[in-house]
Amino acid sequence: MANMAKTQRGETTSPAKKAATKIPTENFNLCLESSEDEAPEEVTFEDSKARALRSMKQTLDTARREKELLKEKRRKRQELFQEQKKRKLLPDEVLEEIDWSPLKKQKQTETEAEEDKGEEEEEEAESGNKKKERTKNFKGKYTVTTVTEREAASFQRQAAEDFIRSRLYGPGSCRSTNNEVLSLQNKTGKIKSAAAQFVKKDWAPEEKAKAERLKKRWIHKQQLPS
Amino acid sequence: MGEFKVHRVRFFDYMPSAIRAVAFCRRTERLAAARADGSVEIFNFADNYFQEKVIPGRDGRAVEALCWVGRRLFSAGLDGEITEYDLENLRPRYSLEAYGGPVWTISSNKQGTLLAAGCEDGTVKMFEILEDRIQFQRNLDRQKGRIVSLSWHPSGAQIAAGMMDMIRIFDTETGHASHRLLVERGAGASKTQEVVVWSVAFLSDSTIISGDSAGKVQIWDGFTGTLVRTHLVTKWDVLVLSVSPDESSVIAGTSEGTVTQFQFISSAVEPLPGSDRQWVRTRTFKNHSHDVRALVHTDTAVVSGGMDTQLVVRPLLDKVEKNTQESALRKITFPHKNLVSCAKKAGLLLFQFPDHLEVWRLGDSDGNGKPGDILPVKRKPEKLIQLNRKGDDQICCSALSPCGGWLAYSTVCGVRLYRLQLDNNNICINKVSKVPKELCSAQQLCFSSDSSRFFASSSQSSVVVVGLQQLEWRHLQTLRPKSGSREPVNLLAPSEDGRWLVTANTDCEIHVFDLQKLKLHCSLPVYASCPTAVSVHPTSGCLVSVHADRQILEFSLEQKEYTEWSRKLQQQGLHPLWLQRDTPVTAVTFDPRNPAHIILHDAFMFCVIDQTLPLPDAKTNLYNQLVLRSLPPAERSRNGHAFKICKSFQNLLSVALLEDRSLVVVERPLQDIAARLPAPVRQKKFAT
Repeated sequence: MANMAKTQRGETTSPAKKAATKIPTENFNLCLESSEDEAPEEVTFEDSKARALRSMKQTLDTARREKELLKEKRRKRQELFQEQKKRKLLPDEVLEEIDWSPLKKQKQTETEAEEDKGEEEEEEAESGNKKKERTKNFKGKYTVTTVTEREAASFQRQAAEDFIRSRLYGPGSCRSTNNEVLSLQNKTGKIKSAAAQFVKKDWAPEEKAKAERLKKRWIHKQQLPS
Repeated sequence: MGEFKVHRVRFFDYMPSAIRAVAFCRRTERLAAARADGSVEIFNFADNYFQEKVIPGRDGRAVEALCWVGRRLFSAGLDGEITEYDLENLRPRYSLEAYGGPVWTISSNKQGTLLAAGCEDGTVKMFEILEDRIQFQRNLDRQKGRIVSLSWHPSGAQIAAGMMDMIRIFDTETGHASHRLLVERGAGASKTQEVVVWSVAFLSDSTIISGDSAGKVQIWDGFTGTLVRTHLVTKWDVLVLSVSPDESSVIAGTSEGTVTQFQFISSAVEPLPGSDRQWVRTRTFKNHSHDVRALVHTDTAVVSGGMDTQLVVRPLLDKVEKNTQESALRKITFPHKNLVSCAKKAGLLLFQFPDHLEVWRLGDSDGNGKPGDILPVKRKPEKLIQLNRKGDDQICCSALSPCGGWLAYSTVCGVRLYRLQLDNNNICINKVSKVPKELCSAQQLCFSSDSSRFFASSSQSSVVVVGLQQLEWRHLQTLRPKSGSREPVNLLAPSEDGRWLVTANTDCEIHVFDLQKLKLHCSLPVYASCPTAVSVHPTSGCLVSVHADRQILEFSLEQKEYTEWSRKLQQQGLHPLWLQRDTPVTAVTFDPRNPAHIILHDAFMFCVIDQTLPLPDAKTNLYNQLVLRSLPPAERSRNGHAFKICKSFQNLLSVALLEDRSLVVVERPLQDIAARLPAPVRQKKFAT
């Protein structure tokens, strides 16, 4: 899609540019020829007027052409969007069946991944005509449910969890890291040892790699002057 | 003591979840603790703090508050539902949508008739507690901003609600707010940030105590709605408050990991006119490295839990006798049930996590070396299978058959059985379909020693026996004890010879079933303490049971009576140091080469009991292994006693004896757990 747009854009811009660049060069050539060959030719007023008119018309034309191209591009894009939207919708018969179904609330049953996808699509299709939550059983074990209620609940829940997290661990909460605390224990305890990330072999591998690199560099630096 | 080749296993990546809420039931002396993953654990404080029951959680259920109403346990969480638990079948009984967004807190009145829930949308919802369910009654006046904490006045006429920047007092009759107590924001940068009243407590003399995110514990007069006193406790948050049953003491848990106690005492230093008693800050306990998020003040102790996943019971020394077992600090870090099962014949280990199972093959080495040597590892241990569970429910129990050919796990929804085939490099796992309909869910699972049968404990202490054939399972019999107990089975142990099956339930009953006749053989006399480990001796057919109070009993199944050794042990009594150990014995195994040896372990030691040696009396040194080693061999036998205790392995989750007589020791160093905890607060330590 993005690619297509890019190519389209390339096409549209190039002719306009060409037209724009051509005109001045031609004019320039004309001037050059005239100056080289002969003495300045007399140009009648009609001629110059016609030329001026022609150039004006040309510029108008290019502008119009550009506009048209832009229009065309927009139209194509619109079409593409519409087609995509159509592809997303469920087939008509399914939608109709949903429309006919009696409004009744049922417990949400287990749905498989496929059905879940179906639900979302169905929800999207219906979002225009706002209706209450409802479910519909198809033949077999398929269930179609609107998902707004659940979504809202999970959103609220997420907000609540974020609230706790930001309160306890967010900015201004003055937290250190476990590494610091454990290292401090190693440092101040009876048995002294290095910082926690160096004591434990499998912990913080990236930091250890960094330390290793620094060490190598340092050794290298030490060796250089001697 | 015997020498063993030991597999020291440290690759079980067990990570307990943070404790989010605790609630204590005074009548039954049970403590319920909810963890961040949604599981709820029940501890029996009357029986050595034994973890009796674990109700597995479910993805998406985050428990935020717990509440006992009589013997019933309710919880509420950010999923917006109020759940009552079925403590007999270890599952949620029902969940009720509160329709107020996430529920931050629930609290029941003292009479046990109403349950109040504080919701995100600013409503306090009243639920009527009926026999078998709860029913929505009404809303109190809706407020702007979430209700974070609630506390009933003991009379039930008023309720205090902690909110953002304020505390409201509601009249429960009319549902209107009668007072509004404005809580001051913190100083400095947090002045622009709203203050959250994380916890309130309403006392019977209408004093309101609040703990907030500015680190203050404030005491308010509930009649006038005025502030009486402010105690600045911490620079961080005061997350939770708890009042002692006699209302003379209040404790506050903070983000620093400290618990601060306030007592209502007369102060000689600055007497107030009118009343001589006031709330004075008295003690500070620091037992946690991370935030304390759950707190309970029992009659004699402070029970706290938090982000560092430990449950700490700190007895108050003015309430208990000093220098006794009662006054000792208890830290409960590991679950009191087995999360590891070992395939003795195949040398495989099964690790149970809430959301998946792992099967590991043990490493190998050239087995030569002096005692105490570390052998070079020839073949490294390797993870063969990681089996993710299906569905949202957490795994509550799992088992691996001794031959390593079968794997089973259970959630509250159902039992799944898998056939494992491990050829040299080929690993094949197949699900065995068609679950017998008798097998809906199980609290305990195990396989018989020849892997031909599969046992699953079910409701009302019954056990479902399933026969296993190639990719097929078939229900044989459901065994039921005669006692009619409704409590769940917490231990299940088949004997090595395939003759007996022993079950123990949380009613402290032990039943023995005859597997050849498929019926009850006998029930043991009920001992007052809950059994924590049971096992049948492979040759003598004696049942050894260890209880939460660390008593060891041996019962002969043939004669149906306690054995001579057991009687002698009871007469002489166990060593006081043995009785004072603070973690329960979680497994009993036997050494087939030495029939007189019993191998036990708790979290900090493992012990070989030699039944031929004399029992230690109270004056002998219980931990005498080092002393014995220094003695000449002739004197060793004279000074030895039956309990040979090895403490070289710490933080044990499991000890098992393989067929080749090597010992598998599964350790989980606490530092590994600490390294994965969330960030603690930054504290300045002097000279660092």
